[in-house]
Amino acid sequence: MTLQGPGRGHERPLGGRVARLSLVLALVYCGLTLGAGYWQVYRADDLSHDPTDAGMIAAARSVVRGRILDRDGHVLATSRLDAAGEPYRVYADASLSAPIGYASRLYGSAGLEAAYASELLGTGGDDPASRALAKFRPRTGRGDDLQTSLSLSLQKLAVSLLGSDRGAVVALDPRTGDVLAMASTPTYDASGIANPATSRAAFAAARNDPGQPLLDRAIQGRYVPGSVFKIVTAIAGLSSGAITPATTFPQQPAAETTGLLVDGYRVRDGHHLFTGSEVLDFTRATEVSCNIWYALAGLRTGGAGMDEAARRLGFGAPLPFDLPTAASQLTNSGGPLPGGFADDVELANAAYGQGEVLVTPLQMALVAATVANGGVEPQPRLVTAFVSPSGAVRDVAGGTLGRVLSQGDAGAITTAMVQAVEGADGQRFTTGAQVPGVTVAGKTGTAQLGGSGEPHSWFIGFAPAEAPTIAIAVIVEQGGHGGSRAAPLAGQMIAAFLAAKP
Amino acid sequence: MTAATLPGFPRPIVRRRELGLLLAVAAALALGNLSLGLTRAGSLTVVDPAGLLIYLGALVAVHLALVTAGRRVDEVLLPTVGLLGGIGLLLAERLPQDLVVQRVGSTVLGLASLQLVWLILALVIAAVVAITVRSDRWLRLYKYTWAAAGLGLLALTFVLGTDVNGTRLTLDFGPVSGQPSELLKVILVVFFAAYLAENRVLLADARVRVVGRLTVPPAPYLLPAGLMLALALGIVVIQKDLGAALLFYAVFLCLFYLATGSKVDVALGIGLFLVGFVLLALVFPHVRDRVATWLDPWSDPLGTGFQTIQALHAFARGGLLGTGLGAGLPTIGGQLPIPAVHTDFPLAALGEELGMAGVLAILGCYLVVVARGLRIAAAAADDVRALLCAGLALVIGVQAAIIAAGNLKLIPLTGITLPFISYGGSSLLVNGLIVGLLLAFSDRGPLPPREPRRARRPAGGPG
Repeated sequence: MTLQGPGRGHERPLGGRVARLSLVLALVYCGLTLGAGYWQVYRADDLSHDPTDAGMIAAARSVVRGRILDRDGHVLATSRLDAAGEPYRVYADASLSAPIGYASRLYGSAGLEAAYASELLGTGGDDPASRALAKFRPRTGRGDDLQTSLSLSLQKLAVSLLGSDRGAVVALDPRTGDVLAMASTPTYDASGIANPATSRAAFAAARNDPGQPLLDRAIQGRYVPGSVFKIVTAIAGLSSGAITPATTFPQQPAAETTGLLVDGYRVRDGHHLFTGSEVLDFTRATEVSCNIWYALAGLRTGGAGMDEAARRLGFGAPLPFDLPTAASQLTNSGGPLPGGFADDVELANAAYGQGEVLVTPLQMALVAATVANGGVEPQPRLVTAFVSPSGAVRDVAGGTLGRVLSQGDAGAITTAMVQAVEGADGQRFTTGAQVPGVTVAGKTGTAQLGGSGEPHSWFIGFAPAEAPTIAIAVIVEQGGHGGSRAAPLAGQMIAAFLAAKP
Repeated sequence: MTAATLPGFPRPIVRRRELGLLLAVAAALALGNLSLGLTRAGSLTVVDPAGLLIYLGALVAVHLALVTAGRRVDEVLLPTVGLLGGIGLLLAERLPQDLVVQRVGSTVLGLASLQLVWLILALVIAAVVAITVRSDRWLRLYKYTWAAAGLGLLALTFVLGTDVNGTRLTLDFGPVSGQPSELLKVILVVFFAAYLAENRVLLADARVRVVGRLTVPPAPYLLPAGLMLALALGIVVIQKDLGAALLFYAVFLCLFYLATGSKVDVALGIGLFLVGFVLLALVFPHVRDRVATWLDPWSDPLGTGFQTIQALHAFARGGLLGTGLGAGLPTIGGQLPIPAVHTDFPLAALGEELGMAGVLAILGCYLVVVARGLRIAAAAADDVRALLCAGLALVIGVQAAIIAAGNLKLIPLTGITLPFISYGGSSLLVNGLIVGLLLAFSDRGPLPPREPRRARRPAGGPG
């Protein structure tokens, strides 16, 4: 019972060495703990969300993805079982390909199918609390449904109005940021890609299409905006105090015939047939889309003021959204002048949407929505709620991107945009955006691309002007003047939306 | 001895601590079983209640046997090992039953039933050994006989054994097959303990100068142990049982240190091991492949690296708290993601379903087993028994560390079992034997006679 046995010749007891050996063993086990921590905590997300992870593969093959629903309860995406009993996706309409995307066993996923894969597959939220809770819930083999703000009828209409043209339409509720329609043409056969029987052929067709249907133009396309960008210049000028609604430029009437000389470059206009030598204020300049007035307003606001307002609107970074968006830009940001402009020519040109300005249709829809919403920019969103298989609804909180300009300035811009659509001279440029019985606010754009090609046809606007419920941005690539393609398209979208509302 | 205790009729001794711990273990296993049932059926369900009850009943039976036998043996080992075995049983319940199928007469037993049978047998062995073994004379006096028997058994496997997964480790006895290298680890501990205790003074003090101040024990004293070690290592290496080789060598070094206290010798031993390992890698392609797979399993993700990568993904899916029992290990086309999960990767499976928390708990259990073993060793009456107990405990702790480290890609993967948890008859039976021996050697003798006013007897052995 004692350490020192009787007659023990060696004086060092085993006890001390046992303690030291225990320490070494404890250190070895500490190493094992660190190893477990490395794989189970540090590398956990990285490995478990890898497409080759057995859990991801098994879920994609066995779990029935949740449905995707539109605002009226129409099913946009659902699952069917193939001969082997494994589920595959079916989409309600080809017009949905851009926002919904596809989920394919061979080609992964895109769009909402990719962005909300873990919810649709029911692998749950990644926060520790919901993971822990998931342990106490039975596995359903079915993921959550996505409730979206899309309107299937509006989406179909947008795509059919774009027709064989390439382009994009983004319509959203300016009060909430809920996206009503987000079309990108040409569309592709998402159901074909999702169906195992036709997957390869459909994907090859989409990838080899010169129209690049896999590019979601509404959020990934970056376009020269032309005159629709004047609304951004108006926001910058009014909110910085550089201009007021009453601002006029004395040199403007004379410059209409000869062009406004800026550092040797001539800014030209096409409206002097209708305005003659009239001195234009903000509203009139917007109504007739006066490049010279806006160039002067941009120069007076300055590069820094323009840049600051553009950033407040979300330029310069991807927009916070359900889907990955491209960043819009005011300049190439390499120039020496404030805001990154190379010179005053670029600044003057940017003020009416040329220069180096590139925008996404979603960004321009948000510009319209900001004005419509009294100066507060709504945060755009597609998914409004998750519905679990048991029927539990988890709402997604909406939000705003903050106040961009004052309510008064927003009202002034609204007045000008109403004039641009409804005014006698405005109607010459904005044919077709009018909706009987509704006051529409809007602005066309005709984006010159250089070369001999047709310009991009643009329109942004909202309605009803007094209490807007829809804001819209339309671009038809090489569709000509804003009034020839985009404005009438927007008019029909607005009419259809307001007519359908109870 | 008082008049109340007649030989053969020992006074029963209440083992409160063991009973309390066993109750906690029973509660934990019942909860685990309910959790598995909830995941499977979607409602509160007990999975195979008979299996759980039989296992818990067996644990209680061993407890009652120890109480009745009236031996003052360790009270923590049985519940700890019982928990590990129970976790292994839960895992066996959770895995596909057709991973192992054995036909006994007209009944076909699946994984969980077989694991239960082996666990019960292991508990029986542990209880019988713990109660009946009173002396270690039969072990220490015949150390060379035991060693020869062990090596013979191993050689027999080599000649007559059957190939499983390309390595010849299994010996068939009719319907039952066993892996003699499992038994060899106990025999080696017995031999080393007896040998090192006998020669510890000479090994520590009679030094031969090598160079400068560096001295080693004289070769003649090292020879028997070295020869035995070399033979054992040689056979298992040729059998490609690298895990067993690493285990034997590590336990030998530990015992050598405990016996002589010479850190220099241990450092030399580690150096020798590394040199030997490099030589092995140069000679044997399968060792080289094992190392290459360890360094970068992703170079061949669907071939040699598959098992390792899948295990790491399983750990990752588990995260901190795990997916819950039964909710992990997603099958693809009916296949489990990790091949040989029940023998080689139970820790990865448990790491996924119980999370890092579960892994730490399991590792903690092994540390408890080692701590109890070393405690018994420190309290032992003489050197042989001290080294014997330490060696037996280290076999468990080192083996668990080796396979855990292999699962976690900290060292190359070896095919040894996770003690008490992995599926495998010989492994469980031998581990049962180890627990039995540790219990038997922890006996603190009969209760001292009752005194009128006695202070509370000291807890545990003298430290």
